[in-house]
Amino acid sequence: MSDDDPYKGYREPALSLLKKSGAAVWDNVEIETVKGPFAGLILPRSTTEDAEHIVIKMASGYNTGVHVSSIKKIKKIGHREGHYAIPEKEFPYDKRKRNVTLLGTGGTIASRLDYKTGAVVPAFSPGELYGAVPELADVCNLTTKKLFGVFSENMGPEQYKALAEEIGRLIREGVHGIVIGHGTDTMHHTAAILSYMVQNPPVPIVLVGSQRSSDRPSSDAARNLLNSTFTAAHSDLAEIMVCMFGPTSDDYGLLHVGTRVRKMHSSYRSTFRTISDIPLAMVWPDRVVPLRACRKRRTDREVTINTAYDDRVTILYYYPGMNPDIVDALVDNGYHGIVIAGTGLGHVNAALNPALKRAIDAGVAVVMTVQTLWGYVHMNVYDTGRYLLELGIIPCENMIPEAAYMKLCWTLGQTRDLAKVREMMLTPIAHEITEREPHNGYLVYQGGIPEVERFLSTYKK
Amino acid sequence: MDRDLNKLGFKCGVEIHQQLLTDKKLFCRCPAGLYSTEHHAEVLRHMRPTLSEMGVYDGCALMEFKTKKEIVYLLNKESVCTYDMDDTPPFPINEQALEIAIELALLCGCGVVDEMHIARKQYLDGSIPTGFQRTGIVGINGSIPFEGKKIGVSHFSIEEDACREVEDSGHFIHFRTDRLGMPLIEVVTEACFKSPEEAARGVRHIGRLLRASGKVRRGIGAVRQDVNVSIEGGRRVEIKGVPRYQLIPALTRIEALRQKALLEIRDELKRRKITQDSLKAVEEDITDVLRNSRSPILSDAIAKGHRIRAIKLVGLSGILNTPTQPGRMFSSELAGRVRVIACLDEIPNLFHTDNYPEYTRNHIDSRAIRLALKLGPQDVGVIVWGPEGDTITATAEIKNRIVEACDGVPCETRQHLRDGLTDFERILPGADRMYPDTDHPPVRIAAERVERIRNALPEPTYKIEERFRSYGIPEDAIADLALSPRIKLVDELARQKIDMKLVGRLMGQAVRSLGRQGISVDKIDDRTWIELATKLLSEKVPQKNYEPVLKAITADPALEISSLISSIKE
Repeated sequence: MSDDDPYKGYREPALSLLKKSGAAVWDNVEIETVKGPFAGLILPRSTTEDAEHIVIKMASGYNTGVHVSSIKKIKKIGHREGHYAIPEKEFPYDKRKRNVTLLGTGGTIASRLDYKTGAVVPAFSPGELYGAVPELADVCNLTTKKLFGVFSENMGPEQYKALAEEIGRLIREGVHGIVIGHGTDTMHHTAAILSYMVQNPPVPIVLVGSQRSSDRPSSDAARNLLNSTFTAAHSDLAEIMVCMFGPTSDDYGLLHVGTRVRKMHSSYRSTFRTISDIPLAMVWPDRVVPLRACRKRRTDREVTINTAYDDRVTILYYYPGMNPDIVDALVDNGYHGIVIAGTGLGHVNAALNPALKRAIDAGVAVVMTVQTLWGYVHMNVYDTGRYLLELGIIPCENMIPEAAYMKLCWTLGQTRDLAKVREMMLTPIAHEITEREPHNGYLVYQGGIPEVERFLSTYKK
Repeated sequence: MDRDLNKLGFKCGVEIHQQLLTDKKLFCRCPAGLYSTEHHAEVLRHMRPTLSEMGVYDGCALMEFKTKKEIVYLLNKESVCTYDMDDTPPFPINEQALEIAIELALLCGCGVVDEMHIARKQYLDGSIPTGFQRTGIVGINGSIPFEGKKIGVSHFSIEEDACREVEDSGHFIHFRTDRLGMPLIEVVTEACFKSPEEAARGVRHIGRLLRASGKVRRGIGAVRQDVNVSIEGGRRVEIKGVPRYQLIPALTRIEALRQKALLEIRDELKRRKITQDSLKAVEEDITDVLRNSRSPILSDAIAKGHRIRAIKLVGLSGILNTPTQPGRMFSSELAGRVRVIACLDEIPNLFHTDNYPEYTRNHIDSRAIRLALKLGPQDVGVIVWGPEGDTITATAEIKNRIVEACDGVPCETRQHLRDGLTDFERILPGADRMYPDTDHPPVRIAAERVERIRNALPEPTYKIEERFRSYGIPEDAIADLALSPRIKLVDELARQKIDMKLVGRLMGQAVRSLGRQGISVDKIDDRTWIELATKLLSEKVPQKNYEPVLKAITADPALEISSLISSIKE
């Protein structure tokens, strides 16, 4: 569906009917049907829907689809093109305010309607953001740069490298903080890899998205944007962080360490949680309240950018009865690294051992994480674990599987020497391994229990 | 009176909202119809206006954004899920609800659409946590026979119901989410009613037609009407959520006369050469001027640290005192805007110099206001009080309302009060608040499905009533009988040539009277009814005894009818 096609999305048989009637998309028409007259504006047709209906927007604002077999006659009476675009306003510059750059990757933090699919697609411009959330001008001077326009599931090594390099450039240019607009699905993957590729940044680097797209009145996008730009401009936290809702209510946001954060619900606003630790800080559009110690903002412009990446790495989510030929297949297909999400303290079935041995002997790095997500790998507790250690499996402490995956990609991009890989994997760079798990880190509420219900009735969810 | 309304070009159309009798809500699997005043958790949200599909902001949405409300939802665990909280996308539409909606659309004579597109209709008042109502057109081009004419149905939609408002005070509004998401249909008529009484009868007519299906909810809040009124030169004003058709005549008559008054104000402003562009208004914070006021209201505001703000309306002397509704003046139009948009909701929320309130030493304040604003004899000054930000919003809205007065009648949604009075609720939303629901693909409604439903349609109430009338059933029994489960039985009695006056008194009036006492006659079988009617007639039992006879039968269905009748005769 090209933009200048006057029959956007229409295919046979609806296409012929439109052509025969001399009507096209954005034409005002009167349609005579077996169900009486319909009047309205012809809208584009989603290419994922059938080819037998013509969609019109009636005067009431409602849309409806008219089946070609119901149509007796179409009469064009006018033309009115719709332009779904947030009014662009130039972002005001105030030299007393700090400078923040917002890097766009896509995602629902800024999105607009897409007639091809009938769903929403990413859209991004500084003027649009200011037009939609004028309060941003109170927080900082915002510059935006669209790096890519992709849904988060389409982010990959190429985008990670470009992002890391751009961040390095911006830091050297003197920016006070960086915000990265990102789709939420793989935000924690990107946060993790950036934590390795961008080391010791002097300023806050904040990934932000939204769980309800910005074309909805109840969207979390505006609040997330304000929280993240405030963090980037004014906070003292020189870390790579994710900034998303704390509760589902429009209250505070949480700042999570990039390697410890995970999306934990498919649709809740408060989906991001820090795993095996507590978040860095709480944030409102006008203040940040730290919850624990972290690296502080510096005035120097030094940062280490290392964009090494090897994509021949996989996550093997273990299940009882897993057949060893899966491991063999990975080796045969030339994989360099396997992150196992093991059961319990980091276990797999003994039947897998010979295959894992073959893999390690073939030079494949095999590392262990836990599918419980919370807690450490402890492979010395049971024989199963001890045997795996003996094979040369690297126990990744309390790295969450996605953070371990990204770290292994990054490590293998630099060396295939398994001893070196082990050393790099087990040397923490950005909190991906922590020495101590605080007593209040693990928290999965069980709803329905009186004390939890009491809590829920006291605080806004 | 009605002839006068006719001359004014009175026009009225209605939007009837009727809940459907389904087990579950429309876009989630929560139970429908489970109301409670208890809650287990709260969620806080804010709303922002978003663009329509055509790239335009809706005026109503922008107005509601100005109110800056903190919206609190009270969640009851039995009736709410993460969909209602707007933390989960919609599930596929409830097929049971859609099936009923198609049936009702056909009863209203509509053509059923081939493909339903779910839209998001923006509501920024917080009544729906998403900020929009999911709604879709099921039918259009409907027509319902009515008093020898037709009621045109411009469209028929299915939608989710909104929350119940618990409290709206200042910048906080509380809602319960139990009603939220329940399936609802909306019947939108053309502006075809030419008098207030006709509109009320029309609403009753349509309501009865919907009830004929037996698949709609009854009881308080199950049916709500939005009543649209306009007169020649005026504009469409919507009176929102009228619960009973009996309220419609007074509401619509008073609204028509309010529009007439607003048009007269417009003409008077024109005579004074005041236009939207030439209107002069000066605003000023005059807290210090009134710091020693003896007004309990003003001194209380000052004690709270609130501000008093004044606006001078040049050349508007006398206008604010123009009557617009019984016992109300044009100043109440300003107060309505200030109450809703600036959230200054303690009434009175404004004073003005043309009708300054009585209190100790009020003349000193009045003079101080006149001096501070440098009011000339042709001018009027209005003051408002409250938190500073709200007073700024308030005076801006007062000016906006005067600008609109230069143009006549603003399109508004108004809430109904007692005695047919109305007050401002919001700017009337338009087509620009509609946006396609990108979460829900279009729903194909196949022709075969529509035909299957059409073939099983219940007989429309108006046809049954017509037939019953032809049988000679008394008029006051027809309405009840036509909605009773005994329609076929009445036809059978007519076929057997039984006196239909008796049938009306027995099965209409006596049954209704028992119903009021909570006694149901549904267990009496057809054979018993026929025998009863025959015997009552042949034994010439007087009408006053019908009710005791029925009562005795419902109490003991095994009673022998002949002996019962003879015992009653004695």
